[in-house]
Amino acid sequence: MAAEQFGFSGELWGNGPTPGGFYSTPGGTTTPQHGPTKHTLHPMTMGTSVLGVKFDGGVVVAADMLGSYGSLARYRNISRVMKVNNTTVLAGAGDYADYQFLKEVLDQKIIDDELLGDGHSFSPKAIFSWLTRVMYNRRTRFNPLWNQMVIGGFHAGKPFLGYVDKIGVAYEAPTIATGMGAYMAQPLLRDALEKKPNMSQSEALALLEKCLKVLFYRDARSFNKFEFAIVTEAGVEILQPRSAEANWSIAHLIKGYE
Amino acid sequence: MSRRYDTRTTIFSPEGRLYQVEYAMEAIGHAGTCLGILANDGIVLAAERRNTHKLLDEVFFSEKIYKLHDDMACSVAGITSDANVLTNELRLIAQRYILQYQEPIPCEQLVSSLCDIKQAYTQWGGKRPFGVSILYIGWDKHYGFQLYQSDPSGNYGGWKATCIGNNSAAAVSMLKQEYKIDEMTMQDALQLAIKVVSKTLDVSKLTPEKVELATLTRENNKTKVQVLPSKQVEELIKKHEEELAAAEQEKKEKEKQEKGSS
Repeated sequence: MAAEQFGFSGELWGNGPTPGGFYSTPGGTTTPQHGPTKHTLHPMTMGTSVLGVKFDGGVVVAADMLGSYGSLARYRNISRVMKVNNTTVLAGAGDYADYQFLKEVLDQKIIDDELLGDGHSFSPKAIFSWLTRVMYNRRTRFNPLWNQMVIGGFHAGKPFLGYVDKIGVAYEAPTIATGMGAYMAQPLLRDALEKKPNMSQSEALALLEKCLKVLFYRDARSFNKFEFAIVTEAGVEILQPRSAEANWSIAHLIKGYE
Repeated sequence: MSRRYDTRTTIFSPEGRLYQVEYAMEAIGHAGTCLGILANDGIVLAAERRNTHKLLDEVFFSEKIYKLHDDMACSVAGITSDANVLTNELRLIAQRYILQYQEPIPCEQLVSSLCDIKQAYTQWGGKRPFGVSILYIGWDKHYGFQLYQSDPSGNYGGWKATCIGNNSAAAVSMLKQEYKIDEMTMQDALQLAIKVVSKTLDVSKLTPEKVELATLTRENNKTKVQVLPSKQVEELIKKHEEELAAAEQEKKEKEKQEKGSS
C-alpha cells in the first residue's frame, strides 16, 4: 500500500497494550496477541516471603534460601539478601533472575558512586527512592521486574525499612512481610511490636525466626534454611545461614491430604 | 596567524591552546563582576548590577543571582543568554536527582555534571563554548558550606573566596590579602565583600542600586538563601565608608606626627 512506503506498517499501535490483555497470567492468556510475545511476563525461578522488622538501634531483614521452580524446590542454597553499602541491605522476593539483574545494576551503581571519590554514599532512603522510580518505570513500560523488594538500613541514627514491588507500590513501615508472610507473619510481627515497641536485636531475630518457622510449616514454597541481614550503627552484618527447629510430630494426625 | 585555528572550537592551535575557550574567557572579563566569600557560618555572594536602565521593569528576586535548588544558588558573569541556558540545566540536573533519590544533590556533583556539559562543547559538536563563568554557593550535609567557580573550559574549583568578571584579578588579589582563613564570620564576609566591590566597580560612589548582595546560611536545619534588601546594603556601605574615613584620619594623624617629629 502507499502507506507502507512512509514506514506505516498498518498496525494501529504495534507493541503496545492490547485491550483486555494487559497482564499475562501464568495460566496463559486467551486474548489474541498482536505478533510474537516480545517481553517475558512469566516469572520462572521464584523466592518466597521476605520479612523485615525495626528494632532499637537497627533493622533486620530475613529471607529463606530457596528458589522454587513452580512447585519444585529446585535451588536450595541461593541468597536472596544483598549488602548494598555500609548502611543498606536489600532482600528480594519473586523472580530470582530479576533480583540477580537488579543486584548487578545496583552493585555497579554503588561502585560508580564510590569512584566519584567525594565521600558521598547513598542513604537507605535514596536507594529506596531510586528503586521505586526504576520499578514503576518498568511497570509503565509493561516489562516489570517481577519482585517484591525489602530495603533495610540505618542512617543518621534512625532505622529504615521500606517495600517496593513490581507495580511500583512503595511504602515504609516498622514491619514488612511479602508474599505468604503478609498473611501469616505480619500479624505476628505487628503484635510483637505493639507489645514491645523498642525491642532489642536478639528479640527481633527471635521474632523473625518464629515467623520463618510458621511460614515453613504453612507456606508450600518455603524452606527451612534462611539468612538474616542486620543493619546497625556499626554497619551491615549478614549472618551465616541457619535453620529453625521444626516439630512435625503432629503431622500424622492431619488427615485427608494423602 | 591564529585565525586559521580559531574558527573551529574543537581543534588545538599550534601552540596547544583552545582559542575559542580563551576568547570566551575574554568575553567574561568584560562582564559584570561577581564575588563570593566563604565564612564560618555561611556564604556571601555579591554581584554588580549593570541593568540599571530607568525604563526596565521591576526585578522580583534578583538580576544575577539564581536559586538552583533549596540548598544552592549561583551567580553568573558573561553572556546572559548563555547563562540562562546553563542555569536552567543546573536546575533540571538538581531536580532529576531529587526525583530519583528524594535527597538534595551534593554540591560538587551538581557543579561537576554541568562542567562535563561545558567541556563537551570544547571537544565535539563544532559549537562554540558557553561564554559564562559561574560562581556556585551551596550547603550539603557532607562538606557544609561550599563555594565553587566554573569557566567556559569546563574546569571548576572549590574556593574560600574568589571573583569573576570585570576587574576580577584585582579583586582576587585583594581577597588574598584580606581574607582570614577559618576566622571569617558572616559580618566580616559582608564587610569584605563591600570593600572589594567598591574598589573593583568603576564608580565613584557605591550605592545599593549598583550591587546585589546575597547570603546563604543555615537556620533550623534548613538552608536560607536571601537577597539583602537595599536598606541592609546601604548600612554596610555606610559602615565601609566610615571605616575608610577612619583609616584616612589615622593616616593623616600619622603623617602629621612624622612631620612634627622630623
